[in-house]
Amino acid sequence: MELILANTGSYPRIGDTPAQQRLRRAYQEREQGQLGAEAFTRLQDEVTEEVVREQLAAGVELPTDGQIRWADGLSYLAANLNGVSVNGLLRFFDTNTYFRQPVVTGRLARRGPLFSRDYRQAARAAGRPLKAVLTGPYTMARGSILEGGYRSIHALALAYAAVLAQEVAELAEAGAPVIQVDEPAILRHRADLAILGEALVVLARGKGAARLSLATYFADAVPIYDDLQELTIDLLHLDFTYSPALGRAIGERGASKALSLGLIDARNTRMETRETVFPVLDQVGRRLRTPAHLAPSAGLEYLPRDRARGKLEAMRRLRDAYVGDRR
Amino acid sequence: MSRAKLAHLGIDLPLLPTTSVGSFAKPDYLVEARARHARNELTQAELERLEERATEFWVREQEEIGLDVLVDGEMYRGDMVAYFASLMGGFAQGGLVRSYGNRYYHKPIIVGEIKWPGPMTVGWWKKTQAMTRRPVKGILTGAYTLMDWSFDDHYPGRRAAALALARELRKEVEALVEAGCKIIQVDEPALSVRPEELSVAIEAMHVVTDRLPAYFVTHVCYGAFEFIYPAMLDLPVDNWDLEMSNSGLDLVDLFRRHPFTKDLSFGVVDVHSHVLEEPDVVKERVARALSVLPTEQVWLDPDCGLKTRTVGETSGKLRLVVEAARAARRSLGVTR
Repeated sequence: MELILANTGSYPRIGDTPAQQRLRRAYQEREQGQLGAEAFTRLQDEVTEEVVREQLAAGVELPTDGQIRWADGLSYLAANLNGVSVNGLLRFFDTNTYFRQPVVTGRLARRGPLFSRDYRQAARAAGRPLKAVLTGPYTMARGSILEGGYRSIHALALAYAAVLAQEVAELAEAGAPVIQVDEPAILRHRADLAILGEALVVLARGKGAARLSLATYFADAVPIYDDLQELTIDLLHLDFTYSPALGRAIGERGASKALSLGLIDARNTRMETRETVFPVLDQVGRRLRTPAHLAPSAGLEYLPRDRARGKLEAMRRLRDAYVGDRR
Repeated sequence: MSRAKLAHLGIDLPLLPTTSVGSFAKPDYLVEARARHARNELTQAELERLEERATEFWVREQEEIGLDVLVDGEMYRGDMVAYFASLMGGFAQGGLVRSYGNRYYHKPIIVGEIKWPGPMTVGWWKKTQAMTRRPVKGILTGAYTLMDWSFDDHYPGRRAAALALARELRKEVEALVEAGCKIIQVDEPALSVRPEELSVAIEAMHVVTDRLPAYFVTHVCYGAFEFIYPAMLDLPVDNWDLEMSNSGLDLVDLFRRHPFTKDLSFGVVDVHSHVLEEPDVVKERVARALSVLPTEQVWLDPDCGLKTRTVGETSGKLRLVVEAARAARRSLGVTR
């Protein structure tokens, strides 16, 4: 079985050492007007380079930029759009983290490229292609307060898809081999799967040679596993930590899409072992289209930095041991 | 039903009792003292003296404002999870994780068997109750939230960790009851985050509260209640303290479709805004509460803890709650 080691999305931007906290200090200095925009951007670039190198050192073969610049999963994009303002804090799914809720008051329009700019800087720093990650149009729409411009979640999701399609096209042009669209909200609103399907068709139009990946996490994907296989995507990321029956479901039903196996728990510090990972790989292995990805269940920013790195190192050890054992 | 329980416990409260969720703003001298204590520049005894001074200030302030059920203001606590994790056996301090924006906190890790270390809140409850004749709530963080907001390297699963915490927290509740506390709030803000685990939270709360002679309140905020209502009413407490104003009172429609069967501490001021609401806005929120709930079931308070507000804002928000309650009582033709 060929398993590519991938990061899923975010990476902790600070750690417990003073050097690892320079971005935190920079945010404070920026807010107090003590740090200029250019110096702040330079530091974000440095920390991005640092976290990409940390992922590579831990053995990750398809790293991300760590989402160092993202204020949170929704407002980073929203702040770059006309027709949207950013409101108060709301809990981000079942995490003990919070995001600022976009408020849509008019027609959405981009102020300029966002993710491709970040991508080019990070890929240049890494000296290799990365996985690009976007929050998807359905989750953006579901997490927004709709006050104007559109009449329904459906219409708003398609509007977000239209602006994100531009980002996808630019990322493909920038050389991103995988463009991942994060849609955790769909697992909690399964009846809206058709809306997500329509939105993904819009995104896929601009993907060029890149592979379009759909990432689901923070809830059980088994109830819509078969439906997810029908979407216009090349790769499907699944969070195994919420789905005790997912391995069996894949083993029984197979997979028409390539899968990203989110077997490394991004929400808890306990390290994975052969006993927790190998039985699932045995269950799904025969049915996987290869190469598959092995990845954290979600973004790693929910963990302390040292544990996040430890998880990635454990992921490499487990992959190597599994492939070695079965060779 | 719950009024009868309060009466049985010897607590006589007016119609539309007023209270608060738990935390208040720390005065500047205490913020500074806590920082100095963290740098080992102030002894524990010196810090405690200042915490007592701040607690007494808030007791007098609550009395002067006219609240019916008081709290200690949590002058001795930082974070609602870290406080208990720092005292209970089985926890270690974890590394920094992000809360939002540029805010980070040390998320605890369960590394061994959870152990109650002896009373964690009882001493402060006793000190505070000794300062006033009005009833003071005992307040602790619930087992499900302590589990959900910690990492776990020890227990085989989330239910096992939650129940282990519940067994030890029950000892704290028993100690509060033994000390004479009759209104006990068990905070469970994480309650609604995983609807599929509601039964675990209910099971854990049974372990904490069953057969104990107290009026139990739970505080929950930022919830996705649409996924757990009305099943959540099976949680074994007498009173739900819910954030209502921050979410535009959208829960009222939920209660219209399925009656709320417990007492409800209805949040009528938004704690996340520096702005003091206009009195008429708060009165309107009270009216909305009374449009879907029998008057006997309704308590009034802020949405959530007030520790992120200034001292002046905190007092101002509390005053709005009390004034709205008095106005509502007058319109109902009662004086208390």
